[in-house]
Amino acid sequence: MLSALIWVPILSAAVLGFWPGTITPKASRQLSLIVASAVFVWSLVLASQFNPGTASQQFSEYIPWIDSLGLTYHLGVDGLSLPLLVLNSLLTCIAIYSTDKSIQRPRFYYALLLLLNASVAGAFVAQDLLLFFLFYEVELIPLYLLIAIWGGKRRGYAATKFLIYTAISGILILAAFFGLVLLSGASTFAYEPLRNYTLPLTTQFLLLGALLVGFGIKIPLVPFHTWLPDAHVEASTPISVLLAGVLLKLGTYGLLRFGLGLFPEAWSIWAPWLAIWAVVSVLYGSFNAIAQTDMKKMVAYSSVGHMGYILLAAAAATPLSLLASVFQMVSHGLISGLLFLLVGVVYKKTGTRDIDILRGLLNPERGLPVVGSLMVLGVMASAGLPGMVGFISEFLVFRGSFAVFPTQTLLCMVGTGLTSVYFLLLVNRVFFGRLSKEVENLPQVQWSDRAPAIILAALIVMLGLQPNWMVRWSETTTTTMMLNSQELTANSQPF
Amino acid sequence: MTKTSAESGQVENTDRLKSQIRSPKSVHILSPYIERLKAGDALLADTPENLIEVVGVLKSYGIVMVDYYTNLLYIAEKQFLVLFPFFKYFNGEVSREKLLRHLWHDRINFEYAEYCMKTMMWHGGGSLDTYLDSEEFRQRARAAIEAKIQDNWLIRGIDGLFPEFLLEQVRQQVYYSALGQFWRVMAPIFLTLSDRYDRGEINSIPQVVDHILNGLVESANLPITYSVEIGDKEYEIIPKSANLTFLMDTAVPYVEAVFFRGMPFLGTVSFNAQAHQIPPDQTRFEYGALYADPLPIGGAGIPPTLLMQDMRHFIPDYLHDLYNRNRRREDDLRVQICVSFQKSMFCVTTAAILGLAPYPIDTKDPSEEQANRVYLEKWMDRFVTSRLMVANSDPNACLYGCEVRF
Repeated sequence: MLSALIWVPILSAAVLGFWPGTITPKASRQLSLIVASAVFVWSLVLASQFNPGTASQQFSEYIPWIDSLGLTYHLGVDGLSLPLLVLNSLLTCIAIYSTDKSIQRPRFYYALLLLLNASVAGAFVAQDLLLFFLFYEVELIPLYLLIAIWGGKRRGYAATKFLIYTAISGILILAAFFGLVLLSGASTFAYEPLRNYTLPLTTQFLLLGALLVGFGIKIPLVPFHTWLPDAHVEASTPISVLLAGVLLKLGTYGLLRFGLGLFPEAWSIWAPWLAIWAVVSVLYGSFNAIAQTDMKKMVAYSSVGHMGYILLAAAAATPLSLLASVFQMVSHGLISGLLFLLVGVVYKKTGTRDIDILRGLLNPERGLPVVGSLMVLGVMASAGLPGMVGFISEFLVFRGSFAVFPTQTLLCMVGTGLTSVYFLLLVNRVFFGRLSKEVENLPQVQWSDRAPAIILAALIVMLGLQPNWMVRWSETTTTTMMLNSQELTANSQPF
Repeated sequence: MTKTSAESGQVENTDRLKSQIRSPKSVHILSPYIERLKAGDALLADTPENLIEVVGVLKSYGIVMVDYYTNLLYIAEKQFLVLFPFFKYFNGEVSREKLLRHLWHDRINFEYAEYCMKTMMWHGGGSLDTYLDSEEFRQRARAAIEAKIQDNWLIRGIDGLFPEFLLEQVRQQVYYSALGQFWRVMAPIFLTLSDRYDRGEINSIPQVVDHILNGLVESANLPITYSVEIGDKEYEIIPKSANLTFLMDTAVPYVEAVFFRGMPFLGTVSFNAQAHQIPPDQTRFEYGALYADPLPIGGAGIPPTLLMQDMRHFIPDYLHDLYNRNRRREDDLRVQICVSFQKSMFCVTTAAILGLAPYPIDTKDPSEEQANRVYLEKWMDRFVTSRLMVANSDPNACLYGCEVRF
């Protein structure tokens, strides 16, 4: 069942990429949209059959692969990966739909998008460390090409920077995985058995350190974040949506699954420092966002800040904070996806993202009033206003973390205030006031331009009003994760 | 011989110099517009697109104007001193269908007409304003007030406490009537303009101006009167003997108040004041139709929005076709109508300028030319900050493919 989420898009990508006959751009788009929609529907079917009462892996698939390496094709899903799986398939549909119909080399483009979708899904469901790594690395190739080929003027620089950073990330993660297997004496990369091995604390520190830097690059956390603003600015809108919405989550997912899951003892010792790291990321990202004049860069730095909340919650590792970290991943995926979509529409219609040039886009007749209204909703959600998903996730993060790290939590709450500052600056400058002369005669905005953003906005409000629809998927898993961590920490012998 | 020829040339040069001193060319920043007017052209550039916009929008304006003046005259005559006029926009026909239509807002926005009336009243000007401060008006108005409130003890008490209150209400009723009478004359002028255009008789902007000018001149001396019927008796509040006339006592104050001055309204703060378009005091108020920025149209509380909303129901097909050639098609219809409306108001203003000029605009008499030049420069002073140049270089116009002369 889970394999369908991986192999259907991969096979479709192969057909799109290598089919000898002619496939028109329209047919390429339709085929990829149908495949992505089918994958999304299938992920919803899986979610509907998911048993939220158990923390064990569900819909497991196991096929021995390369015994000598200890590599198995082992898939499974739990409350940590299920929401991200659904988010991935949803945002892929939205990315394909919001792609410019006149895009160059459409077959290759859509094939890469499907490959990206499959590799991310594979990483989320992989129950084998090496399998996870394979999917994690495969995902780099389509994303690199999507930025390098269909990006902006400095796409080569941005794509190369992204590749170098994430390749280093991959090397560190692989090194940690190999180190774990070799030093523990295990004969397999399977996730569950590895959790039962106890390593000396120093070794745990070493391996966890590698994972923290590796996934810290992917998230990204300060000071490993510099690739992200460049990648976002140069990437096209659909790729930015996927990058912020899903791909960054591979980093936080990896931290929770492998950092906290495999090295709970070292994690608990380093937790206060991780929380401080979260504070630095939140504040640095927020202050940088305030200083930006490019709307997309502002949203990108906002992502750096908001991903810091997940690290704070993961560091606190309370049942509520772990649940919050999952919720914040989905919340950030939806909100940043919405914001990048809207910035994309503004750029498409005005030809600029410069907040020093844009003014008055909320003008009801000649501006982008629907886009502007959705942007106001998006920034309110990002700033954590009640009634939207951002409020629930941030409240859970702060509520769950405060008991463990009160100072760090309070400092992160300052970040929420700063979110209001930079997004109010953005909305005030770009959307209020008189329409600036440079953009007085904007082209028509079609409903097809607005539809993806409206879908995301609806989800943001719906999950804000009824968070239990998602919480029930993850609650048991995150609570069990915390209990297992405590148990493993208690059982481990000091080195 | 040589000397004689030189002397003769010197005399010619001196005469030319004297002539130039008597009637020099204007050095006003808007002197090209002065030359245009003297050449028989209009303030608005004469282009096929401008012609379509002006005629089309004046046709729709004429249609809604009929509804506006009908209601203004109804309120003036039938809602006299009705202090809570809940059904004043119903013209005496209150029905469930009409009420639902009214509440649903798919109706003519009579509020716009009231906005213009209040603007006229606020700025005053002309003999009408003077008359409303006269003792004669006071006596006539008091008689009507006494008759109206004789059986209403509550209002009588209020009138006793605040004797100016009802008097001011009557002044407002007078303005309802005056604007109604003004538009009752103007509406047919615009509608016949459209008919003539449809018959192929109007082919240029100067012809539009001529048509309006002729209409104004024909109606210039029509009397402005106002009377109300209370009980079985008619009370003349503005008698014919007050000698108030159409052109000088309603048209000119209307142009001054609505075209040039304007007034604050809801939404002003959020849009125009932010853009520093609203002066702080009334005397420097320049937010009339010729100055108004069309872009806030569509915003809540922006009165021209109501007019554009009304006019859009009656836009002729040829104007729709033109608007649909815009890159945004008719998404911004109300703003496009406002842009066209502003252009048409520059044509009406051209007609008013020509009609009020001290001498024929094409006179060759140097002293008359000089007087005309001074007169036109005064007008141009007022146009410096107006939307005149924008109207003649509208980005839309470029999109439509027209060429702007200046």
